[in-house]
Amino acid sequence: MNAVWQKIKADIISRPLISILITVTIVTSSALLTLALATLMNISAPYDQSFEELNGAHVWLHFDRAKIGLRDIERIEALPGIVASTGLRYHVQSRARIRDTRVWTSLRATSPEAPSVNRLLIQEGRHLAPHQTELLASKDLDDLYRLSVGETIRLTRSDGKEIDLPVIGLAYNPMWDTYRNSQPPYIYLSKELLRELFPDESTWGWSMGLRLEDPESVEEMVTQIETLLHSDVVESYTDWRDVRDSALFGAKLNFVFLGAFSSFAILATVLVIASSISSIVLSQFRQIGILKAIGFTQGQILWLYLGQYLLLSLIGSPLGLLLGLALSPLPLKSVAVSLSTTFHPPLNGLLVLLVMGLISGMVILATLGAAYRGARANIIRSIAIGAEPPRKKTSWGTRAATRLGLPMVLILGLNEVFARPFRSLMTGLNLTLGVIGIVFGLTLNDTLDTYRADPSLLGIVYDAAVTRDRTSDRKTRHLLEHVPGVEAFYGEHMIDVETIQGQSFQMRAVEGDLAAFPFRISEGRFFQPNTHEAIAGRGLLDWLGLKVGDELTITFQDKENRPVSWRIVGEYPEPVNMGQMLMVSLPTAARWDRQVEPHTYFLKLTPDCDTAQLKQYLAPRPDADLNVRLVGEALPDAVFYLQLAIFALAAILIGIALVNVFNTSLLAMQEKVRTIGVLKTVGMTPAQVMIMINTTAAFLGLAATGVGIPLGFTLTKSLLASLSVTYGFGKVNVALGLFYVLPLIPLMVVISMVGSIIPGQRAAQLSIVKVLRNE
Amino acid sequence: MNWPFGMDILVKINDLKKVYQTGAVIYEALKGVSLDIARGDFVAIMGHSGSGKSTLLNLIGGLDQPTAGSVRIGEYVLNEMNETALAKFRRAHVGFVFQFFNLIDNLTVQANVELPALLAGKKDKKTIRNDSSELLDGLGIAAQAQKHPWELSGGEQQRVAIARALINNPTLLLADEPTGNLDSASSQDVLAILSKCHQWEQTILMVTHDPLAAAIAHRILFIHDGRIVGTMPGGDARAIAQRLTDLR
Repeated sequence: MNAVWQKIKADIISRPLISILITVTIVTSSALLTLALATLMNISAPYDQSFEELNGAHVWLHFDRAKIGLRDIERIEALPGIVASTGLRYHVQSRARIRDTRVWTSLRATSPEAPSVNRLLIQEGRHLAPHQTELLASKDLDDLYRLSVGETIRLTRSDGKEIDLPVIGLAYNPMWDTYRNSQPPYIYLSKELLRELFPDESTWGWSMGLRLEDPESVEEMVTQIETLLHSDVVESYTDWRDVRDSALFGAKLNFVFLGAFSSFAILATVLVIASSISSIVLSQFRQIGILKAIGFTQGQILWLYLGQYLLLSLIGSPLGLLLGLALSPLPLKSVAVSLSTTFHPPLNGLLVLLVMGLISGMVILATLGAAYRGARANIIRSIAIGAEPPRKKTSWGTRAATRLGLPMVLILGLNEVFARPFRSLMTGLNLTLGVIGIVFGLTLNDTLDTYRADPSLLGIVYDAAVTRDRTSDRKTRHLLEHVPGVEAFYGEHMIDVETIQGQSFQMRAVEGDLAAFPFRISEGRFFQPNTHEAIAGRGLLDWLGLKVGDELTITFQDKENRPVSWRIVGEYPEPVNMGQMLMVSLPTAARWDRQVEPHTYFLKLTPDCDTAQLKQYLAPRPDADLNVRLVGEALPDAVFYLQLAIFALAAILIGIALVNVFNTSLLAMQEKVRTIGVLKTVGMTPAQVMIMINTTAAFLGLAATGVGIPLGFTLTKSLLASLSVTYGFGKVNVALGLFYVLPLIPLMVVISMVGSIIPGQRAAQLSIVKVLRNE
Repeated sequence: MNWPFGMDILVKINDLKKVYQTGAVIYEALKGVSLDIARGDFVAIMGHSGSGKSTLLNLIGGLDQPTAGSVRIGEYVLNEMNETALAKFRRAHVGFVFQFFNLIDNLTVQANVELPALLAGKKDKKTIRNDSSELLDGLGIAAQAQKHPWELSGGEQQRVAIARALINNPTLLLADEPTGNLDSASSQDVLAILSKCHQWEQTILMVTHDPLAAAIAHRILFIHDGRIVGTMPGGDARAIAQRLTDLR
């Protein structure tokens, strides 16, 4: 074994550049694997950490005020399985004006002392002080309206008057569901202030948070409470696991992309090692014969090659592990930042074991074939011929190139591609992975551009939305009919509904000039106004197990004894609430509930509409009742960073592919040094040698785009389609324009040629005399 | 060396030196060789292993650069030319025949022969194809044109190598131990071809340590320890062998 070890050391040292580059690819794939695994293993850790620090409630009960009394609250708190409670909490829904935007908010009474259960996480400023007329706003108001500490919010009191109150801090509530848009942002204030603004306590909503002995027993606890009180006092409840899922949405998306790219990187590394070792074994065939002649056994030859790469993996994988761990807070950063925590995934034994084990396994897998071939080499033939003979027949590629009348130098370059088909396949696949990565990023980019250019694909069929409060529906319509720049509009009322089985969701009841809006119906058709027809988001259909053509019976939440059925005639892209929404005709819905009338109006503007003038007309003063909101065009930051991350990961794959092109070109050059010597002897100039070597690489780059572009597009399409289905959006219109694809072809050719420049130069500078003398 | 009046000198070598250095070890392969070869001459260079004969051939062929001295082939001064110019010179003016044939395995016989002409790009493909067919026919291997080198015998492979060396009508044909890897029958065939080439007024410089091979040359140069130590006319293999033995 000592002899094997000596030879392993000598081989690694004699090829320092190749050894270093292979180690770098091992480091890269280990780092990406560590990142993906650390993200997966710790995906909920930042949330769990905050949740525990704040002693979050496992379930938040929203009571029907008319059916519950204080005695019931005590009975609930006394139930077994409940560890602690927040006590009864009060809230009132109210309109608030943040600068010139009016929004619905939920005013939550809270005590200045931090409660034992479900404490607020103060992210900026401070907590409420006793006896102060001040507000603590939820952090999402900053995200949505850039609200900062020190600004004022104008609240509408119960008597309709408005009052300006200062914001003294921004807080995160571990039980505020960031995803469902039915939940308005929270504003915290003291109970005294709530009483001052809304003196009639009978209008206050009641709710309570409970911390459970078994956090997984939320449903059982709610059933127990409903059984205990013998009535449906619990209007709805929030499960801490749903809140956690919402908070982790971004991190899960990061994991999907990281997982895909780390798999690609591992595959790319397998290809680098497989093609490198295959070339090394070929170039050392004579040496293998000599080693066997002096007494090396087959097993020792096998270990010689396995050992070299295992040693490199033993150097590379711990480095990659450390690099991955150093970078591992990044994919979880969005969760950690939203919780104002810093989270660093811990180094755990399982992670180390998995990374080291997987990387070593991968190295063995990549090395075994070529090492075994070397071990089985015939001694006499190896020593006599010096190399495993290449494919001897002229390949179809070379014949085709000859028929096309290509210059001899290019034909010889192409000849090399087909002379060693396995090695070319490995390198080509590696380049293909890089192309797939780039196509992934480009497709995402182009798809986003398409959606940005046509928001109707996202279900946003309007140019602007107007909301009203005190202004009547009639007056609002009158205004909209006469305002310049509005081509058409429709009104909407959101209704909370529930299926017979108790699944609650929201329904859009709409009326107006609907035909003027480009609703995208991915299946079926749009509903006929004034009928019991409806269209549904993909998420709702999947959730309830329905399809287009089915009938759905629901009750309006405050009209539970009057079920109403809707026939689903179409599916539309619903951008909110994971697609769990229904859209129906408002006049039909109003037959069941007379209070149903539009509060939001969606406008289609004329192309020459002056939006500033429109705003001025509808909302002339900051305290105007109507609120105008234009469809934003900005790309969310999260999407921008995701794109950036995908391009960075694609660049890593291209880097690995470059290493492979370099290694294989160099090893191929070493293996066919005699041929290059002969070609130079018969008059091939150094430039022609360079062109020949570059032709091999350029062809592989070209082939990689031929395979990688359609494959990358198909893979991206499948991934986005599956993500879209998972998140209830429905059909996704994936796009990739020629404008993006065409430059990719010469780019990949150039990239792969760059990888072969140094080997090409070495070949061009090869001394003919030395080559011939070495024979 | 003196030449009859009016003889056209093709190769003119003046005080040629070549020193190899490997680490601290310095080895003088050629120690000041001067030599003229006339156009149409057939010269054999003989010497024992390590005498410097292959080094001399490499320098004349422009495969290597001398440490000192000059090599002039016709109007070309090789020691003043760069790598690219030397490559272009080789492809246009020199044909090489090696002991181990050095053919490209996965190209057909005909493609191997055409390779230098295609690299030079001076003739159209049709002309090159005609030339190669004619050469293969002339060397008796036309039937093997579409075969691959590994499908041929050693003698046939060496004929292919000769055809490749002749495809560009070289000014100078250099042969390094052309029979060193062949059986005696194949050796005779190859030597007969070289003689035929000489009859066509092809200038040939052949390195060999086989007296039978050297005997077909017009003139024999003996090289020993990096210096030309003697010369004699070809023809008598026995005398050549004796002279070679005397060098020890």
